[in-house]
Amino acid sequence: MKNSIYLIAAISLITISCKPKFKIEDPSFGEMNPSSYVALGGSSTSGYSDGAYHLDGQENSYVAILAKQFEEVAATSFNQPLASATGINLDGNSRLIMGYKTDCKGVNSLSPVRVAINGDNTILGANIYSSGPFNNIGVPDLDITKINTPGYGNSASGTGNYNEFYSRMASDEVNGTILGDALTQNPTFFTVRLGEQDILTYASSGGTKSMPATNGAAGTGFDGSLDEVLSVMSGTGSKGVIATIPDVTNFPFFNTIPFDGLVLDASQVTTLNAVFNGTGVSFQVGKNPFIMLDPNSPPSFVRQMLPGEKILLSIPLDSVKCLGMGTINPFSDKYVLTLEEIDSIQTKTNEYNTIIRQQAGNYGIAVVDLAEFYSSLKAGTVYNGISLSTEFVSGGAFSLDGLNLNPRGQSMVANKFLEAINKTFNANIPFASSIKYPGIIFP
Amino acid sequence: MHKLLLFLILPIQLLSQGYQVNLQGQVSQGMGGAGSALMQDGSALFFNPGGASFIHKNEISLNVTPTFGNSTFLENNTNSIAHTTSPVGTPFSAYGIFQIKDSSKLKLGMAIYTPFGSTVEWEDEWAGRFALTRLKLLSIFFQPTVSYRLTDKIGIGAGFIYSYGKVNLQKDLPIQDASGEYGHAELDGSGNGIGFNVGLFLDLTKHVNFAITYRSKIDMKVDKGIATFTVPSSLEDKFPSGNFSSSLPLPSVFTFGLGITPNDKLSIAFDGNYTDWTAYDTLSFDYENNTESLDDTKSPRKYVGSIAARLGVQYKATDKITGRIGFTYALSPVIDRYITPETPDANRLNWTIGMGYKISDQFSVDASLLFTQFKREATNEETGLSGTYKTRVWAPGIQINYTLK
Repeated sequence: MKNSIYLIAAISLITISCKPKFKIEDPSFGEMNPSSYVALGGSSTSGYSDGAYHLDGQENSYVAILAKQFEEVAATSFNQPLASATGINLDGNSRLIMGYKTDCKGVNSLSPVRVAINGDNTILGANIYSSGPFNNIGVPDLDITKINTPGYGNSASGTGNYNEFYSRMASDEVNGTILGDALTQNPTFFTVRLGEQDILTYASSGGTKSMPATNGAAGTGFDGSLDEVLSVMSGTGSKGVIATIPDVTNFPFFNTIPFDGLVLDASQVTTLNAVFNGTGVSFQVGKNPFIMLDPNSPPSFVRQMLPGEKILLSIPLDSVKCLGMGTINPFSDKYVLTLEEIDSIQTKTNEYNTIIRQQAGNYGIAVVDLAEFYSSLKAGTVYNGISLSTEFVSGGAFSLDGLNLNPRGQSMVANKFLEAINKTFNANIPFASSIKYPGIIFP
Repeated sequence: MHKLLLFLILPIQLLSQGYQVNLQGQVSQGMGGAGSALMQDGSALFFNPGGASFIHKNEISLNVTPTFGNSTFLENNTNSIAHTTSPVGTPFSAYGIFQIKDSSKLKLGMAIYTPFGSTVEWEDEWAGRFALTRLKLLSIFFQPTVSYRLTDKIGIGAGFIYSYGKVNLQKDLPIQDASGEYGHAELDGSGNGIGFNVGLFLDLTKHVNFAITYRSKIDMKVDKGIATFTVPSSLEDKFPSGNFSSSLPLPSVFTFGLGITPNDKLSIAFDGNYTDWTAYDTLSFDYENNTESLDDTKSPRKYVGSIAARLGVQYKATDKITGRIGFTYALSPVIDRYITPETPDANRLNWTIGMGYKISDQFSVDASLLFTQFKREATNEETGLSGTYKTRVWAPGIQINYTLK
């Protein structure tokens, strides 16, 4: 009996340290080589998120995460024009975080707030190419037709032809171009996410800005400009990946405030019906569509919003709550996407995507279907027990600006790229663990 | 009877590994878990109450099997690896079987055993942390039993089962605070249920025995469980801690057994089990305080009925020493898209060896060793967790038998 006990004790010692093991295939790059990786794109590529250009967003952009995954295979370098943690946007504001805000009615609630009163002004204005060249030359608010236009980094070029973010990272503010700066790095591998920014620039301005024509020469139209990028980038024999463009009208920025979110009681209805008497607009107790300006709606040039039309997150909410914005002060065009504008966004997206797929085929470039990824987000998806959707804040994938993804969402985009890379180039690069990347941080 | 009571109140740790635990006696464990038609000791009360009346001694047995189970998870695509840090399980059983004076046909018995249970704990920050970090499930069955020998060839028996169980389930919540800490949920409760265990034993010929047994399903109902949520302060009102209720079915088991004894030294046992796991369709948690963020949950499990085949051989080498060997092949009740980290189950082949040693006319000891390893690749439909689980189990056990004069 004693012997049995010794036997059990001996077996116990052996088995405690006996964890099952796996044989894992060695990671590899296959036919691609990211030793000189250049990333081209707009805001989402640059790491712009939470409403500003800032360090945390840059370190967690999908391209930075891609580069990090390349490191799992072999040492590679990925240099970025890093900004500060506070960050800045073109309105001079810092990045957003979740915090508490007191609205015009004195109600204190959980809400996105700026991390600092002012953005970090040292970020824009000074050229930092001395610490370049930069593998990530994603430029916030990029206009694809300017990607090979000298002077895009030169303030003298004037509004619309000048981009402060590019100016900061340009090899030469006067004569440099984004595409030129990419080429000087002799890229062996590149990712391209173009066109989405052009559509977003239009959409997030409520359709007040314009989108490049679908067809036209380089510097004018989308297809010519993209063709120039892809022919130049793949001309040296380097491999590349290009992303399709999602339907941006599904982004939280356009879907958080309902078109009929105007809730009225009886006395408000009486007052408003008196104000709008004769305009063809009338109100009822309960939910009502907001009122917007519409030059095509004579004689009053105001009308109720229609189902399907979208109010942008850029709207000043305090004005809506306390100053009659959306009723006696109808929404102006820049805060609204009309059905017609939504239609032109979706049409343009389809046209651009057709060109993207066509040219990717021509140049042997892998395609990553981000359009499909964003649709699955829209439908709602689950990843390792985390529910993700396009809901603002609670959806967990978008950052607090409702336009760009948070680190977790970015890592999932990176994995979509890796899926395409592994498949097309017979590579075996491990995916990023998206649960290691933060979603929304709550106080 | 006083001695028996003493054993019952001994403090015994109740951990166990694997939702269903088939470790109820070293003799059977040495023979691949078979033995419903081979009546050798007090574990007959569990394996076949009908056969207990064929045990020709008054006996008390105590049995424990430290279970070392380790699982490793390899996540698809990321190659991230996680190990379980589960504690050693100690499924145990205790049997007392007694003949009533002047009636050699009637036996009374008490069986205490742990047929279901599991403690699975995954390492910190593992890929499935939002599905599960730890599950501790304990159940203990108390089964007073009557067994009656109708004729020299037929025995019947029935036991009433009272079961008591505890559950503690923990997982992280995908809500992060400013320091990067994730939220956490802990559900803790206890419950009980009743059921029965019946059996028929046929001593067909000198060499062949036959058994049919049925242990009923038991619904373990948890009524006033306590749910504790740890979340960032700004979301505390959305995740109120409070009571919950839930229910866990412990499924019925139908067994057919065959025992063959070609000669005095050799015995062969075969058992076939059908476990009606269809009872485990959904795992529901009903929270007393619901909010927009805290709904009642219904997680699909959709288990299917499963069978297991067990074969064992025993050889009495001398009057004192007996050797045993056997194996089990068991089908998993869990289908691919419902594999969870709480039971990373798979079809499995268990190998067992065992031995018995008779110390004196009154004392004997049995020991066994079980080994199994299995692997399952799956993507869970509810959580999206996708990867391969590899599990290895070593279970060395020992049993002491005391025959009353």
